[in-house]
Amino acid sequence: MVRGMTISSTNGQYSLAVHTQGLSKRFGSRAALQAIDLEVPRGTAFGFLGANGAGKTTLIRLLLGLAKPTSGSIRVLGRDVTENPAGALARVGAIIEEPRFHPHLTGRENLLVHAAARGREAQERIDGALERVGLAARGDDKVKTYSLGMRQRLGVARCLLPDPELLILDEPMNGLDPAGILEFRRLIRELVDEGRTVLLSSHLLDEVQKTCDVAAIVDQGQIVAQGRIDELLRGGARAIEISADRPLDAARLLAAVPGVTRTSDDQDVLRVTLSPETPVDREIVTELLRRLLDSGIAVDRVAPVTTSLEDRFLTMTTRLEDRL
Amino acid sequence: MFDLTLIKADVLKLRRRHGMLALAFLVTAGAAVLIYTVTALQHGANPIKHGPAGGLKNYQNSIGFLTTMVLVVAALVGATAGAADIESGAFRDLAATGRSRVALFTSRLFGGWAVVFTVVAATATITAVAASILAGPLPVLGATAVLDGTVSLLLAGALGTAVAVGLAAVVGSRGPVIAVLLGFELAVLPILSALKALGSARQLIPTQALERIAGTAPSGGVHMALITAVLVVGAWVAAPFLAGAWRTRTQEI
Repeated sequence: MVRGMTISSTNGQYSLAVHTQGLSKRFGSRAALQAIDLEVPRGTAFGFLGANGAGKTTLIRLLLGLAKPTSGSIRVLGRDVTENPAGALARVGAIIEEPRFHPHLTGRENLLVHAAARGREAQERIDGALERVGLAARGDDKVKTYSLGMRQRLGVARCLLPDPELLILDEPMNGLDPAGILEFRRLIRELVDEGRTVLLSSHLLDEVQKTCDVAAIVDQGQIVAQGRIDELLRGGARAIEISADRPLDAARLLAAVPGVTRTSDDQDVLRVTLSPETPVDREIVTELLRRLLDSGIAVDRVAPVTTSLEDRFLTMTTRLEDRL
Repeated sequence: MFDLTLIKADVLKLRRRHGMLALAFLVTAGAAVLIYTVTALQHGANPIKHGPAGGLKNYQNSIGFLTTMVLVVAALVGATAGAADIESGAFRDLAATGRSRVALFTSRLFGGWAVVFTVVAATATITAVAASILAGPLPVLGATAVLDGTVSLLLAGALGTAVAVGLAAVVGSRGPVIAVLLGFELAVLPILSALKALGSARQLIPTQALERIAGTAPSGGVHMALITAVLVVGAWVAAPFLAGAWRTRTQEI
């Protein structure tokens, strides 16, 4: 459950862009997704994190009505996808894995083909969508002449045709160069600033941390954590790195300090791991330094270790070696 | 289920395949031009040995050949219309709009028909005009003969396209469907039609039913009631269409 977010349908406005309950999908005897309860608040950039094969694309296919759930319910923008796919997906744009197009048609013609399934308003948005993603000048070139980055941008233009309230982007940054990734990140933030919701599925943890406000971590078909990025990071192990003389003596000394669970020495840099209850604040740092200085050990540097989403991800998910 | 905007989109996808369209016109309208040009030149060079190129009999003979060519074009265009979205991967994005998948499938059939019927119209016009102009002293074409010939070509186009669109949707790839249909239409069906041992079972052969509806003499000598012929053609259109619609509606992508 995302803290601070409530589900309501008052005034016809559903506060969640995506809401699944007990969602499961089996392929034969293999469970791809198990009892997924996902809540994507409206107006946020939501990261859906997982290793390859964790179930991210399966979930997206279910959200878009491309596959049927074995059990559970899916509501997108307040409507049940299984019962009313046209209503639920009318204002949803999506890129599923690599965006695919008819290569013998131009970019504009591909958008026209897609808009035909959306309605008249979608056709009227084609020029604006091409303009927005910077493809106005190349819109009349055949897609087979486009680079991967241009096809990704055309995929975004296609997403914009229904004037989406929700964009579902599955690994959208795959294959993009650094400039393309920066541009994509900026575009996502712009879309969120316009009040749209972006659900971004990725295995690029750094990208999600930089782009998203809220995230869920999926592992082996189950959501293992869900919440605001800063909340997810706060739940991680905390540590302080200290460079000091006589590191072995220092490690032995600091291991005895209340609140310290572990000390380790890595190339003369001490890593002091704290218990979850111990805050990294002035008090504990002062205590550690006092112990060292009182024992005549000089200190060069003290720095808190910043927990990254990658650290949290790795502590929460199953390592490859554990699966084998 | 009938959405003109979706059909236009499917026509656009086919219209932009210039090589396929050129081939389609070449083997039908182009073949008609070639047949009448060559026979007219032969008649001009040696009128005693070679009769006039046009006239009723020559018209009916050319319609018989062009019906087979229209089946070839229908297989080509229909399989392309049926499999293009799936092969390119764009079908997943179309389905993700929430639009009825049956509507998406049906528009492929109507789009295929629109292209094939355009080819048929050009072929039928060229054939009728050439047979009339080049009739010489031979019996000229009546409206009934032209109507029969055009209906024969249209039915062949409609039937072949429906079968190809449906099969391509089931298989998900146009290459194998074109190969199987061409083999079936050009090799298997003529052999089956000629096998008298099959008896009345030959009434199920679609080309025999087409010839019966068009009013031409059945090439295999199979006789059947008109209603039987209509039912046979209807079944040949319906079975692959329903299979394709079912596959499109239920497949997980």
